[in-house]
Amino acid sequence: MFRQLRARFGGPLAAAILALLGIWLIVMVTLPQLQMIEYSLRPNLLPAQLGGPDDRLTLANYATLFNNEIHRAIFFKTLWSSVLVTLLTLGVSYPLAWYLAKVATPRQAALCLLLLIIPFWINEILRTYSWFIILAFRGPLNEVLMMLGLIDRPIRFLSGDGGVMVGMVYAYILFMVFPVYNAIESLDDNQVRAARDLGAGTIRTHRRIVIPHAKPGIATGCIMTFMLAAGSYAVPALLGSPGSRWFTQIIYNWFFEGGNWNQGAAYAFLLLVLCIGFMSLVMRVFKVGLGDIAK
Amino acid sequence: MDGSVRLEELVMRFGDFTAIERTSLTIESGEFFSFLGPSGCGKTTLLNLISGFLTPSEGQVFIGGEPMAGVPVNRRPTAMIFQNLALFPLMSVFDNIEFGLEVRGVDRKTRRATAEHLLALVALEGVGERRVTELSGGQRQRVAIARALAVEPRVLLLDEPLSALDLKLRQHMRSELKAIQRKTGITFIYITHDQGEALTMSDRVAVMSAGRIQQVADPMTLYRRPATGFVAAFVGENNRIEAKVIERLGERVRLDAGALGELEGHVGKEAGLGGGALVSLYVRPEQLRPVSAGASGPTLAGRVEAVHFEGAALMVQVGLDGSGERLRVQLGSEVSRTFADGLAPGVSLTLGYDPAETVVLPRDDGSLVDAATGEVVAAEGGSHV
Repeated sequence: MFRQLRARFGGPLAAAILALLGIWLIVMVTLPQLQMIEYSLRPNLLPAQLGGPDDRLTLANYATLFNNEIHRAIFFKTLWSSVLVTLLTLGVSYPLAWYLAKVATPRQAALCLLLLIIPFWINEILRTYSWFIILAFRGPLNEVLMMLGLIDRPIRFLSGDGGVMVGMVYAYILFMVFPVYNAIESLDDNQVRAARDLGAGTIRTHRRIVIPHAKPGIATGCIMTFMLAAGSYAVPALLGSPGSRWFTQIIYNWFFEGGNWNQGAAYAFLLLVLCIGFMSLVMRVFKVGLGDIAK
Repeated sequence: MDGSVRLEELVMRFGDFTAIERTSLTIESGEFFSFLGPSGCGKTTLLNLISGFLTPSEGQVFIGGEPMAGVPVNRRPTAMIFQNLALFPLMSVFDNIEFGLEVRGVDRKTRRATAEHLLALVALEGVGERRVTELSGGQRQRVAIARALAVEPRVLLLDEPLSALDLKLRQHMRSELKAIQRKTGITFIYITHDQGEALTMSDRVAVMSAGRIQQVADPMTLYRRPATGFVAAFVGENNRIEAKVIERLGERVRLDAGALGELEGHVGKEAGLGGGALVSLYVRPEQLRPVSAGASGPTLAGRVEAVHFEGAALMVQVGLDGSGERLRVQLGSEVSRTFADGLAPGVSLTLGYDPAETVVLPRDDGSLVDAATGEVVAAEGGSHV
């Protein structure tokens, strides 16, 4: 890598680039993570006890999760809900990506992309809060549905996981649309035409030709959406009900309300392990490597 | 199985641009039919209209006598071989060939048997398990043919499928395609800008230019009796000499070629070229031969400008006395052996030809010319065959 950079930018600049990259990777990514792990392996002590006989490495913080039934349930619920959010986002994004990549004229595609991107110029909290208004018990959505006569009385959208789901699909849709769009876009139109010409209908063409081709993009989108969903704090905090707490909220509580950083660090590390586990699973299921995803 | 294709008053427009002018044409069942023309002449559009990827602005396509309006691509009895082949790169050769059968719900065993039979037909046994990306260009070509034949189409549409191959392989595949067509009896509709391909393989060829069919004929007729100036110039090589009709004697015309003197040429029975009509005389390079000065029949006098050895033949460029027009003269091996020594640039040469082998056509300045009068007329829309 250095040799290529040097050929392009000259020795000093290449060295500076690599040094900055190294500092970023080590000081800002690796060391904080290592410190979190170190935290997670120590008990939560008063300053006076630091360095004392109780200050030793322990797995007690990890054991907490396995002993606390409520936290365990929330952990698995977060996992399951994030999978659901990922699938829902894929379901919404795939047709959209297909339309953008292969059906729309360049003008339509540009317009559509603009409409998709504009909301993302607004802060995530505000966007999420607008959904809170839309989905409220006396909010516009219920009003409209009642006016159309589809329902007799308002629905409590925000009482279960529904609000969180909608909010997350909305918040992370671009992270799914773009990789899938890129993947589908690179498919030769003649592949689709050939499949049609050989008699395949729409569903089979997608199942046998388009989806296999777009697999790396779909895998990338799924991994990103899952990570963001599992690590989301704002959406469940705003749109969730007391019954739909997210694991990130527990972590937050340990850190900022319980003041137990060590316990919080252990939970955060477990969430990281969960995400890495999911990512490897998806890569195995889709039979794609890291190289395909980085494309 | 009727694999005839009939185009009825077909018109295709894209916005303001007319890609296909009103066209009617019948392609017989079991025929090897080619559309030949330069790129942008509308031949691929025509293929897409037959396959159903495009819907005509006007008119209709009939396949096997059945109207195809409203029949989507995947329900038409056609199969296409794409220019880039469009094999499915993530599938094995077997899966590629079996795809169309899988769609039709054919069971696994029958599918595999058919695929193996087809691989044998295209002389490609034993590669079924391989990925198509592992195959050579020629092998992929064969897989594409097998994949298209698997669905038992009544009409096979080929969109310049040989253009990606190198010269030797291309020539080999020509005879192979022809053999497969004969064996299967399927109607082949072949699109190409390569006249060599069109002439060697086809039963009939339609020459196209600017969205219009110029002439439909068997290759021999196309070459020997081109119906328009475009065909005369596009198919094979031709020398064009501008002239005026002096007098017509049956199929012979006497021509006044200005500084070149009096010449003679052949016209079709139907062409009504009368005295005074402006015409072009087309003489192929291989029909010109050196004669002694004062020989009977029409002659052209000139000076050798360049000599190119082309293996089987000698190509001589001759500048005509008087007009300075250049003619290309192709001398076969017997002639060139006797004349070769004397054929240096600067040498005077008298050329003779057999008027019966030439073609005289109304002068073609790019606009539509009325074949009967030689007058330029407004676009009357349509090539009728």
